[in-house]
Amino acid sequence: MQQKKMAAPCGRMASRPLLQFLSRFSRSPVGNTGFRQFSSATVCPVCLQRLPVISADCSPIEQQFKQMLHQIELEKSVLSDHELRLLEDAEKMSRKQADDYDSDEEDSHGDKEIMMAQDLEDIWEQKMKNFQPALRVRADVDKDLTSAERCLADSLVLLAEQEVGDEKLWLLPQTRWQEGETLRQTAERALTSLPAAGFKATFLGNAPCGVYKYKLPKAIRTENSIGTKVFFFKAILADGAPPKTKKAPFLWVKKSELQKYLKPAYMMKVERFILDL
Amino acid sequence: MTCTLFCSSLYGEHHHLVQSPWFAPVMTLKTSAPLRAEPKKKKKVDPRREQMLRERLKKKLKKLEKVPPELIPIEDFITPTKCLDETRERTAPRLSFEESEGRALLLKEWCRYKQKQHMAEVEAVELALEAQREALEELKLESEELYRAALKPDPLLIPFVHEGPAYTPAIPNYDAPDGKYNDITKVYTQ
Repeated sequence: MQQKKMAAPCGRMASRPLLQFLSRFSRSPVGNTGFRQFSSATVCPVCLQRLPVISADCSPIEQQFKQMLHQIELEKSVLSDHELRLLEDAEKMSRKQADDYDSDEEDSHGDKEIMMAQDLEDIWEQKMKNFQPALRVRADVDKDLTSAERCLADSLVLLAEQEVGDEKLWLLPQTRWQEGETLRQTAERALTSLPAAGFKATFLGNAPCGVYKYKLPKAIRTENSIGTKVFFFKAILADGAPPKTKKAPFLWVKKSELQKYLKPAYMMKVERFILDL
Repeated sequence: MTCTLFCSSLYGEHHHLVQSPWFAPVMTLKTSAPLRAEPKKKKKVDPRREQMLRERLKKKLKKLEKVPPELIPIEDFITPTKCLDETRERTAPRLSFEESEGRALLLKEWCRYKQKQHMAEVEAVELALEAQREALEELKLESEELYRAALKPDPLLIPFVHEGPAYTPAIPNYDAPDGKYNDITKVYTQ
């Protein structure tokens, strides 16, 4: 009995260093044979989204429905204070203009009510005209792809031009993973290391939201890194427009425009987690 | 000195001390019988009477407490009497047949539109979840440590605050005019 009890923990003790030994091998960088290790060629791009700032325009059916609802509500409602006052004032006017008008009756409390309801409405209209709200849609800003203020009704994604291998491609901004940091830290570094960036973003969680694997062309393939894995991280642009820098290789694009800039296989994986709702 | 003179006058007359209440010697003023009298109204009935009073008060309190607390009225559910006034009724317009038909058809269209929208949303969310699941699987194959780090919850994320879309974009450097308001909400205590 006692021997069995001793044996069990001993067995576990023996297996632990073995596991550690194995995991140490799996974590070590290039230079080991046989084991699949985490190649330092992994990149962590960040999908920075600017969420919509104004509400989207209504589609035709939405507009029709809106009008219909408004009418039904009006029909089913009761008269408000302001409307009652309007009716009373109209009655008073009609009585004044009638021939048998007895001014003594009315003027007992006439000094107070010089302000008619119609005048109030006019005052309110004036005030509203004095306030100029900002324009919802500005055509010139919409066409400028580098500005973060374009297409305020949609959510935009940041694209940066980066060199991969020998080509310059439009990709989500990324950097290589380094030893000793988690993937999320790599993604944060990717954001801060962009030239002339200054973007403040909130990362949504520690877990990656998408993955893309590709095999490097045979010219660059070495024994250890056959291909790279790309782990995407999602972030939301915090408030405050970033400083506008011209000649910075950035683009803010809508989901529908992504296809023009990204490669098809890459695009397929990326469009899954970019929600355009 | 004056008291001795007084005493001698008394003695002088009768040659013995007159113990009359009217001529009580000054020396004994502080200790005379009427002044020495303490309130002798310590009847045994009084503490009992006080106890009875206290018990009755306690019983009344208990009876009051037994009553369940009054429910706080929900102001939204009570139609104010102003709205039920007859003079406020609108003349209900008569809808033509086409219009009522049009309304019914529009409602059905809306139903279909909203359903499509909802299904699209659900599908999009499922795709995103699937993408994340794949990513985590790949990460697991790569390295256990990073996988575990990825699974940890982020305490800084919650609470997450983001201002939703408005009708017009914000005007930069806009100085909103100050307003005053009097808060007249009724506060109920149980």
